[in-house]
This record gives sequence, structure tokens and C-alpha cells, in this order.
Amino acid sequence: MSATLEKGLNAFKEVIDTPIASYFSSCVHCGLCAEACLFYNETGDPKYTPIHKLEPLRRVWKQEYTLLGKLGKMLGLSKPVTDEELTEWEPLVYDSCSMCGRCSLVCPVGNDITYMIRKMREGMSASGHAPEDMKGATKRAIEIGSPMGIKWPAVQAQIKHVQAETDIEVPVDKQGADYLVLMSSMEIINFPEYLSAISRIFKQAGVSWTLAPDAFEATNSGIQIGASDLAREIVSRIVVAAERLKVKCVISPECGHAFTAIRWEGPNLMGKPFGFEVKHILEVLDELHAAGKLKTRGKDKRPLTYHDPCQIARRGGVVEQPRRLLGEVAEDFREMPDAGVMNWCCGGGGGVSANSRAEPLRLEVFKVKKRQIESTGVHTLITACANCRIVMEEGLEHYHMKVEVLGLTELLAEYLVEGE
Amino acid sequence: MTITNDSEFKAAIAKLTKAGQRQVGARFAESVLALCKDARVKHAIATAMRADITEEELAAALDSAKKASVDSFTLCGKECDWNSQAGHFVAEAALACLKSGTTPAWDAAMHARMARTSESIATGVGTDNAEAAVQYRILAEFMKD
Repeated sequence: MSATLEKGLNAFKEVIDTPIASYFSSCVHCGLCAEACLFYNETGDPKYTPIHKLEPLRRVWKQEYTLLGKLGKMLGLSKPVTDEELTEWEPLVYDSCSMCGRCSLVCPVGNDITYMIRKMREGMSASGHAPEDMKGATKRAIEIGSPMGIKWPAVQAQIKHVQAETDIEVPVDKQGADYLVLMSSMEIINFPEYLSAISRIFKQAGVSWTLAPDAFEATNSGIQIGASDLAREIVSRIVVAAERLKVKCVISPECGHAFTAIRWEGPNLMGKPFGFEVKHILEVLDELHAAGKLKTRGKDKRPLTYHDPCQIARRGGVVEQPRRLLGEVAEDFREMPDAGVMNWCCGGGGGVSANSRAEPLRLEVFKVKKRQIESTGVHTLITACANCRIVMEEGLEHYHMKVEVLGLTELLAEYLVEGE
Repeated sequence: MTITNDSEFKAAIAKLTKAGQRQVGARFAESVLALCKDARVKHAIATAMRADITEEELAAALDSAKKASVDSFTLCGKECDWNSQAGHFVAEAALACLKSGTTPAWDAAMHARMARTSESIATGVGTDNAEAAVQYRILAEFMKD
């Protein structure tokens, strides 16, 4: 057995906690998770059945933690997990799972299959069976501070651009601010309009906020690749900055997995509760709206729909907030079929979009999003995740669909009442 | 006419017709075209600058600019090449002036400035962005014609 395989199998043994053991022992092999999976649903290939993607982990559980499995192992009757097998499973665990959580939601015995995939990735990553692109992104996140190689001077350049555009000062390192705003690399690189939009909205609402040079990046590649120690390091940078600045709340940006990482996994990774709240930007905007601090004028006349990012809606519970906000600025809002917690993933979450090997499959499974959008008859699509946004832009282009994609925060800013 | 700041710039843009905004927006994009190697963008900008453009040509140029924009996004998790990203913002500037937005010229101007900002990040020579002053001159010239 190679050293890396041994490391991976040890990681498998370590991640098999009480929930995972109970999930494996309670699986009734009903196949409902297959019907819920984007990748199975669009390809019909049984290898994409979510519980099947966990087979190597299941065998380790059986051989190490069940009486019959232990006996089988002692008598040489069970098949050990091999390097070749993990090589075969790598695309199943990384390319064809966006950790969207749809399988977990339909499981009749309540197995959180997404949690199991997340844990399985720990062993895959430890044994060297993770996609090269994701390894590179994680290395950059640790060494540079951002998976896409963004350094603070690049953020400063964007701040300067936004300040010139909006004539609003972007606060940096402001002690005692109410909110610490995080951004994803995607917003820094591709969507400067996000920072511009929150600057304008927060000015109008009188919100006290700040950016932090040592914790501007929200994206957590450690979560995506399955490396808890690295994920913890990335979360700890945010915790240190939030505590140093004594903020009351950290705002997760329009990025799905960043929200999962900091809001749900964050305190567990750190082993203690945070001394501050964590909210998604849509939660904050909805609160400002409820308090009468977010004033808009006029409505967008274009028929439009909303794509619920999996990590924000299904895994994060932020479902009603975007609809209340859209109600303020959209004259003709149309729901897609399966909207809300059962929405279909864009196909690029969980590191899939960062993995170039997965591109053909990602575009293949985009057909479900195509059908969803077509059924509404709209040409404007709103979302709240920068990754979903680009994945959908690519899918729409691939299928020659004339649909414009916008961020919800940006749309709200377009209708903001300013200067009164 | 002299334009010295963004307030005057915005006010002057607001006086333009939709076609005028498209044409001057294309000039803003043209000013940073050297940062983009995509022939589709060059063609879209040249088309958008014309006063005699037909609806069909407009739609084709929009399609072309959109494709160039989508092709040049930096995907999540990929290492950012700020030179390529500058090219992406040029494509975005071309797209903005061709779209049926409410402020196409202003949007094109902002994307063109981001192209310069990306260039300055790539070269590491600082974040001074003189593109705004260039755009003030382009707009003043355009309004004189």
C-alpha cells in the first residue's frame, strides 16, 4: 500500500463519525437520491447515483466499524479499497457532485449525503485523488490568500474604481463598524458592480461597514477540495479580522459555498462559537428593507426569474428574502418550476466550475436549467451567487439562449432612491 | 465644451440620444481596445460606432460582443491573469454600449475604466487610472461634432 493511499484511508476512518455510520447503516437502497441528482437526472447514468459515489467510504466503514465487515476482513473475504479504485472514483466525487444537497433533501431516512461527500473528499484529497485545478486553487488560497490569486492591491484598485464611480468612500479597517464585508474572488475580478452596489445601498441605509485587508476573501477552497485543516486556516483569517475590528456581523457575499463555509462550517472548524453573527448579503438587505432603510423607486418592467443558489437556499435557508426584495423592484417576476429549496443547481458548485475536466459534463447537465428558464419565457435571470452567474452565462451561451444574468444586489442598486 | 469631473460627464451623457450613447460608448471601448486581442470585440466596436447601423447589424454585433465577454470571464478557482481580464472588460464595454440599457455610454465608460484598472494591476505600476480624463475628452469631442 502506498503512503498516500494509507493517508487517504486513514482520513476515511477519521471522518466516519456517528452521523456517517448511522447514515450508511440506515440506507434502504431506495434510489430516490438518484432521481434527485442533477447529474443522474440529465445523463441517466447509474454511476451518478449519489450513494454510489460514496462506495469506497462505505466499504471502509463496513470493514472497520461493523462486526460482519471486521470478520470478513479477518478472513480475507472483503475487497480492500485500492488506489486504482480511488482514481476511478475521483470524477464521481468531484466532477459530478456540486454538493447541492438535493439528494439529502429527498432521502426518506434523512441521510445527509452531501455531508458524506464533503467528508469523503477529505480522504480523496489526502490520498492525492483531487482534481489538479482544485489543488492549485487551494494552494493559492493558502499561500496568497485567494484561490484565484487576488492580492489586496487588486482590491485597492477596485475600491479606487468604485469610489470614482460612486463618489462614495469605501471604508477599510474601520474599528467598531457594524459589518465586515467579505467578497469572493469572482466579484473582485469579474463583477466590480457588486462592491459599487453595496457602497450605494449602505450609504443610503446609513450602515456602518468595513472591508479588511487581511480578510477580504470569502471563498473557501478547503471546503471544496475536502481539507479541513486548510478550510480552518481560511476561516480563521476572517475570525481574526472580525475580532480585531470588533464588528457585530460578517456579511457573506453573493457566493454560495462561501456562505456554507463561514456560516455553517465555520464555528465547527474553529471548535467554538463565533463572537459575531454571520449573514448572507440578501439577509442583510432584507432586514434593511424591513426596517424601511432600503428605499427603491420604480420597477423593472422586464419579465424576470430568480435562480436560487443551492448553498444559499437549500443548504442556507435564504429563500423568502430574495423574493421579498424582488417584489420591490420587479414588475413581472416569474418563478421557475422547482424554485426555492428544490431548485436545480447551476451545475458548477462544489468546485465543479474550477475543474476544467468537468466542463463537458457541466454543460451537458445544464439542460435542466435551460428547461427551467424556457418554461418561464423570460430573458432576464437574477441570482445571488457569482459562481452560478458565470456558470449560467456559459450554459446560456452554449445553448444559444438570449438571457441576461444579473446579481440581485446589483439589480436593487439600480432602483435605489439616492441623493434625497 | 469642457468636462472635468464625473458629474459633468454623467450630465453630458444624459443629454445624448440612445444612438449617440451607443456611438460614444463605442469610442470609450475603442480607447482601451489595445488591451483586447479578440477580433469579435474589435468588429463589434467598429459596428457600434457607425451612425447608419441597421437593427440586424446591431443584433449581430451584440451577439458577437456577448460571446467574447462570456468566453473571457475568469472562472471560479482559476488563477486570474489580469491582462486577459483587461481584455474581458473591453468586451464588456463593447457589450454595454450595444445593450438596450438605460445608460449604455456610462456603463461602457465604467467597463473601459476597469480594463485600465486591470492593466494597472497586471503591470503592478500602481492604481492610477487616467482613463476618466481620456473619456471626458472623447465625450467633449463627440458632442462638438
